[in-house]
Amino acid sequence: MTYLKRGVSVVLFLAGLFVLLQGFSYLFQPKNNMKEFGMENVCANGILGEKENTIDVLVLGDSESYSSITPMQIWKETGYTTYVCGTGGQPLDYTVTMLHRAFEHQTPKIVILETNAIFRKVSPAKAAITKLSTYLPVFQYHNRWKSLNWNDFTGSIKFTWTDDYKGYHYDKRTVPSKRNDHMKPTEVVASIEKLNLQYISQIHSFCEENGAQLIFLSTPSTVNWNYKRHNAVQELASQLQCEYIDLNLMTKEVPIDWKKDTRDKGDHLNHSGAVKVTRYLSQYLQEKQLLIDHREDQAYAKWNDSLKKYESIIKK
Amino acid sequence: MFTFNSYFSIQYLALLLPFTVALYAFLPQKARRVVLLGSSYVFFWAISGKLIAYLLFSTLSIHHIGLWLASIQDECDRTVQTVPKESRKELKARFLSKQRVFMGFAVILHIGILLVLKYTPFFTSNLNSLFKLFQIPIEMEIPSFVLPIGISFYTLQAVSYLFDVYRRKIPADRNLFRLALFMGFFPQIMEGPICRYSDTAQNLWEAPKLQWHNLTFGMQRILFGMMKKMVVADRLNLFIQNVFGAYESYDGFVTAIAMVCYTIQLYMDFSGTMDLVIGSAQIFGVRLPENFQRPFFSRTISEFWKRWHITLGTWFKDYIFYPLSMSKPLKKLTSRSRKRLGNHFGPLVSGSIALFCVWLCNGLWHGAGWNYLFFGMYHFALILCGSLIEPFVIRLTGALHIRRDSLPYRIMQIIRTGILVCIGELFFRAEGLRAGLTMFQKMFTDFSLATFHDRTLFSFGMDKFDFLVVFLAMVLIFIIGIWQEKGKVIRKQLSAKPVAVRFAVYYLLILAIVIFGAYGAGYIPVDPIYAGF
Repeated sequence: MTYLKRGVSVVLFLAGLFVLLQGFSYLFQPKNNMKEFGMENVCANGILGEKENTIDVLVLGDSESYSSITPMQIWKETGYTTYVCGTGGQPLDYTVTMLHRAFEHQTPKIVILETNAIFRKVSPAKAAITKLSTYLPVFQYHNRWKSLNWNDFTGSIKFTWTDDYKGYHYDKRTVPSKRNDHMKPTEVVASIEKLNLQYISQIHSFCEENGAQLIFLSTPSTVNWNYKRHNAVQELASQLQCEYIDLNLMTKEVPIDWKKDTRDKGDHLNHSGAVKVTRYLSQYLQEKQLLIDHREDQAYAKWNDSLKKYESIIKK
Repeated sequence: MFTFNSYFSIQYLALLLPFTVALYAFLPQKARRVVLLGSSYVFFWAISGKLIAYLLFSTLSIHHIGLWLASIQDECDRTVQTVPKESRKELKARFLSKQRVFMGFAVILHIGILLVLKYTPFFTSNLNSLFKLFQIPIEMEIPSFVLPIGISFYTLQAVSYLFDVYRRKIPADRNLFRLALFMGFFPQIMEGPICRYSDTAQNLWEAPKLQWHNLTFGMQRILFGMMKKMVVADRLNLFIQNVFGAYESYDGFVTAIAMVCYTIQLYMDFSGTMDLVIGSAQIFGVRLPENFQRPFFSRTISEFWKRWHITLGTWFKDYIFYPLSMSKPLKKLTSRSRKRLGNHFGPLVSGSIALFCVWLCNGLWHGAGWNYLFFGMYHFALILCGSLIEPFVIRLTGALHIRRDSLPYRIMQIIRTGILVCIGELFFRAEGLRAGLTMFQKMFTDFSLATFHDRTLFSFGMDKFDFLVVFLAMVLIFIIGIWQEKGKVIRKQLSAKPVAVRFAVYYLLILAIVIFGAYGAGYIPVDPIYAGF
C-alpha cells in the first residue's frame, strides 16, 4: 500500500510539474518572432514569418553561412527562394532544431549545410537544454522574466515578421587576410566528434524522410578551413552519398581576393565575397534543374519588395 | 565520451546519479557496495580520465602502509609482553621510531605528489625571479602538470587515515575495497567534505537499503544546492569576472560591490555544491560531515573558520595545530612564556607558531600564488590579533557598560566579521597580490557613487533585475539561516506538512531554478570554484 501511495504521489507530482512547466513555457515563449518580443536569433527565425511552403533552399550553419550566402541575389538571378537559418557559433544540436523548425511550415527541396559547424564541439549539457526547449520553451526563454508584459499573459503566438535579407548578414567592411595558403594538400583527415556524426546522421535522415537533398558546402575561409577538414567532409559525404562542394578549392569558379573579400582577416567573407559565392551557388542551383523560377508568381510578390529594399541598402 | 566537470552538469544529475540510485535500489547489499565503488570510478574517470591512476595509487599505497603500520604495532604489542617492565619504554620507542619512518615516507609520498603537481610551477617561477633579482644567470624551465580533480581533497583524507592508524585511533583496514570506497566515493571526491575514515568508511561499506525519507530529504537538499549555485553564484559570475578581470577600469564603489558579490558567490557556490554532495550521499543513506554552519552569523574570525569549510579547518587542527602545539619544543616554550607573560599571553606564543603553520598551509592549500599566501597570513593575523586584544576588549566594554551578549553588540560583531571576511576574499579572488592591493586601495582613494547614480553599475554584467534576484535569494537564505540558528530543522518541519504544502514548496524551488537559473544563452557554465583547489 505504501509503495502504491508513493508511486501515485510521484506520478501526481511529476504531472503537476509538467503542467506548470507547460504553462510557464506558454508565458515565456515570444508571442512574435521579433526582437522586441524576446525572440532569439531573429534573422534566422525570420523564416517562421515566411508564407507556408514558399522556401526552396534552406541554408544551415554558423556565421560562415550567413556571411557567405545572400538569398536576395539568388532570387534576383534565378527566382529561387533561399533562407539562411545560420546563427553565430551554431552547434549541430541547434542546427537540428533549426532544421525541424524550418520544416514545420516549409518544404525546401534543398538543404545546404555549411560545414564549419561539423567541427564545432557540442556541449552535451547545452544540447540537452536545446532538446528540452523544443518541448518546454521555458528552458530556452526563461530569462524573459525580465521583460514580460501583459501581452505575454494574454496574447496568442503568431509569427508575422520576416527578414528582408532572408537571414544574410550584410557587412561591407574589409580587413584583409595575410594568408591564402590554407588549402595545402594533405592526406591527413581531421577527426569529427562522435556526437557530431550522430547529429549529421540525424540531419541526413530527416532530409531524406522529407524529400530534401542535403548538400555539404564549405565556404571560403582562411581561418576556419583546411585540407584536413576537406578530407573529413569528403569522406563523410561519400559515406552518406551527399554532394559536397568545397569552394576553398574552386578558386577559378569563386575567385576570392583575400585582400578585398573578407571582413576579418579571412575568418568570414564580406559582402563582395558573399556576392562571388552566391553567384556560383545560383549557377549551381540552376544547373540542378530541381527548382522553379518564382519571379513572375504573384504569390511571391513580397520577395520582389524585399529585393528592392536589399538593393537600396547594398547600393549605398 | 561521457565527460563532465561539475556536479551540476546534466551528465551527473540526469545520468550518473539516477542510474546509480536505480541500480542501488534493486540490488542486494553486497552488490550495492560494488555499485557505489563502480560509479565512483566511472565518475572519476569522467572528470579526470587517465589521471584516475593517481587515485588508485593513493588508495593502494595507504592500504599497504596502513597494514605495515598495523603489523609494527602488533609486533610491538606482542614483544612488549615478553620483556621486563623496565625495558618496555625503550622497546616501545624503538617501534615508534620504526613507525615514524613509515609515516614519514607515507607523508612525503602523498604530500610530495601534491606539492610537485600543484606547487612546482609556482616555486620555479619565484626561484627564477630570485635569480634574476640577484643577477644569477640561471633560468629554470617552468613545468606544467595536469592535476587530477579532487587531489587536494583525497590526499588529505589519505593522510588523515594514515595518521589515525599511526595514533591507533582506528585499526588499519585490511579490506582494500572499503578503503577504496572511502577514498573515492563519488559525491565527495571533487570538493569534499574531507571525511575521516572513522566517520564514513563503515557507513559507506554497509551500503544501507534505499529509504524513501533519505531519497526525498536528499533530493530536497540537492534542489536547495542547485538554487544557491545556479540562481545566485552563477548569476554573479559575469559581474565578478568583468570587475576582477579589468579592475583598473572600475572605481572603489564598484570594487567594493564586486568584493561583496564574490564573497556571496564563493559561499553560494561552495555551500551549494556541499548541499548537492551531502544530498547525493543522503540518498544512499550515507551521512557526510557538514562543511558549513551559516558562517556569516559568526561574531569573530575564529568562529567564522569553525563554520566555514569545517572539515578542512578540523583537519588542520587535528593534524597540524595539535601535533605542533603538543610537540616537546613548543610545550617547553609554553611553560617558559607562561611564567613570564602570564596565563593569557603565555600560551599564545607557542600557539601563534602553530597557528602560523596552519594558516600557511591553509593559504597554500587553496592555490599556488602569493595572493593565497596573503589570504592565509591575513586570517592568521586577524585570529592572533583577536586573541591578543581580547582582554583589553573585555575591560573596555566593561568600562563602557556594554553588554557583550546584547543584540546590538552581537550584530556589530557579525557585521565587522563579515567585512573582514570580504576583504580577505578580495585578495583571494584578485588576479594576483598586486591586483588585490590595488583594488583594496581603490576602495579608499577612488570611491564614488557615480556609477550608481547614472545606473552604469547595472551594465557591468548584471542588470538591476539580476541584482534584485540575488538580493531576494539572499533574503530567503538569511531567513532560513535564522531558523536554523534557532535550532529548527526545516526539512523535518516541512515533511510534517500536508502533501499540498510540500508539493507547493518543491514546485517553487524547481521553478525558481528553471526560471531564475543562470544557464542557457548569455551565460557560460561556471565550474565549481573549490574543484579548482
